[in-house]
Amino acid sequence: MGKRLSTYGPFIPVLALYVIIFLVGKGVQGMWQVMAMLTFYCALGQAFNIFLGMTGYVDFGYVAFLGVGTYGMALSITYLAHQGMTGPAVIIIGFLLALIFPALLSMAVGAVALRLRGAYFAIATIGVNEGFRYLIEGAKIWNGSEGMIFTSELNQVLGRDTASGLSTFWADVYLFIIAALAALVTLHFMRSRIGYALTALREDEDAAKVMGINVTKYKIIAFITSACFAGLVGGTSWALKTPYVFPPEVFEIHYTIEAIIIVLLGGAGTLMGPVIGALIYGLSKYYLSIILPGFQLLIFAPIIIVIIIAFPDGVMGVVKQRLRGTSLARFIE
Amino acid sequence: MSLLKLEKVTKRFGGLVAVNNVSLEISEGERLGIVGPNGSGKTTLFNLISGVHIPDEGRITFRGQDITRFPPYKRAPLGLGRTFQIPRPFASATVRENVAVGAMFGTLGKELSVNECLELADHYLDFMGLRAHADKQAGTLTPVEKKLLEIARALAMKPRLILMDEAMAGMHPKDIDKMVRLIQEVSDRENIAVVAMVEHIMRAVLGLAQRVVVLHQGAKLVDSSTKEALNDPRVVEVYLGHPPEE
Repeated sequence: MGKRLSTYGPFIPVLALYVIIFLVGKGVQGMWQVMAMLTFYCALGQAFNIFLGMTGYVDFGYVAFLGVGTYGMALSITYLAHQGMTGPAVIIIGFLLALIFPALLSMAVGAVALRLRGAYFAIATIGVNEGFRYLIEGAKIWNGSEGMIFTSELNQVLGRDTASGLSTFWADVYLFIIAALAALVTLHFMRSRIGYALTALREDEDAAKVMGINVTKYKIIAFITSACFAGLVGGTSWALKTPYVFPPEVFEIHYTIEAIIIVLLGGAGTLMGPVIGALIYGLSKYYLSIILPGFQLLIFAPIIIVIIIAFPDGVMGVVKQRLRGTSLARFIE
Repeated sequence: MSLLKLEKVTKRFGGLVAVNNVSLEISEGERLGIVGPNGSGKTTLFNLISGVHIPDEGRITFRGQDITRFPPYKRAPLGLGRTFQIPRPFASATVRENVAVGAMFGTLGKELSVNECLELADHYLDFMGLRAHADKQAGTLTPVEKKLLEIARALAMKPRLILMDEAMAGMHPKDIDKMVRLIQEVSDRENIAVVAMVEHIMRAVLGLAQRVVVLHQGAKLVDSSTKEALNDPRVVEVYLGHPPEE
């Protein structure tokens, strides 16, 4: 039991935070959509952290994985509905496609770009999302620039009541589960040799190689895992919650930037960092836009700069260092 | 049979021949010093053995296996460890985790669980006198502690051969003596061969190496017992230049 606790102990506070977010959304009048937004940011940060946080590599094209995940779900619902298929199996196949599409794309991108180091990788990934968007629009794949609207198909597959319950409530619950799963996978990586290999290559890739670590292999593992979770987030938040998909929206680099900010604010490579980052980012973005509509970004930018200066390793990075050696340390990663 | 064998290995960088037709053999548990002035090809030779560079000509065999074209990460699990001249710890990880990484991806890597690797790490931290720092971030260690950590990390790989890149440079003579003693002890006990690269700390060579290879302009100049090599007039000439004409 003691060993179990030290292995999975750090998952407890993360899960507790997710439960609190969920309960606030459910219990406080009018808070559900705010909490749903926070959950999206948590899931996005938790997914991106597996790659950005653990390897130190920045992928500017990350949103493309959310985009193809969204298309995976959209295609499943649209085509299977046209085939006359109904029931939850359609959604399950949708989730599978939302895993397979980003997995394939990340293998293709990773096989080329992950051979590059640090900044060169970042440069190589700029434009993956735009490229994919123009491919879909230009080649008229999946309805091209017209996008896909599948509200009626979703109604047909699940029935009107279930479909509307999915959009207003259950899709957000799935996001909670995806975020928690991503956290669990992160913790599992941290406790296994994958995590040690990733830490080593993040700190010094040459030294890691000489110590017997196949750095390309471990980078690809982290990349594909992170991409798959991104696909699930896209398929859930952008397809089930809102049953339409337009290329310019789901390949928007803005989401990559948000994910980077969340991970860095909270503490790259820590387990709880993405949740803290998502809370800081999501709440300040939401309330600033209410208090100072139109000026939110003007206030927001200096806030982020101040936090980064005060917590250069992210909030959780600093907390983790402070707690090292204390009895609380086993609950924080 | 020799542990590591280099046969007529040559490496060129453009027009510069950094390592020129060098052959070399090291047996199990042997301690060899590689000596030579700046620019004599020591570092390139090290990089050829550890896989950072691939030779243009020649063959490298380790434990009977041809490793000439192996990438570094395939050489380490065969039992080839290396330390760097300027220590390169994984700064954000703890001292214990640094050493555990060595155990995880070394010769025993696949047989040990993560927890067993952490235990093995503690064993080597004890041995190098770093146990008190086990939970510190490796980046916060002093330079001498970082050097000890490098060696602990290499030892945790349970290697058959360790390449030590100027391990003693910049250290206090007292620390050098201590380090030489530690390396000798572990090399004897675990039958680990050591190839130490030394530029000018002859104190370390004398204490540690049983045999010395002197490199000069990329080629092997002398290969003999330590005492003989250091008294060889050719070696003196490489370091100090021609004696003045009478």
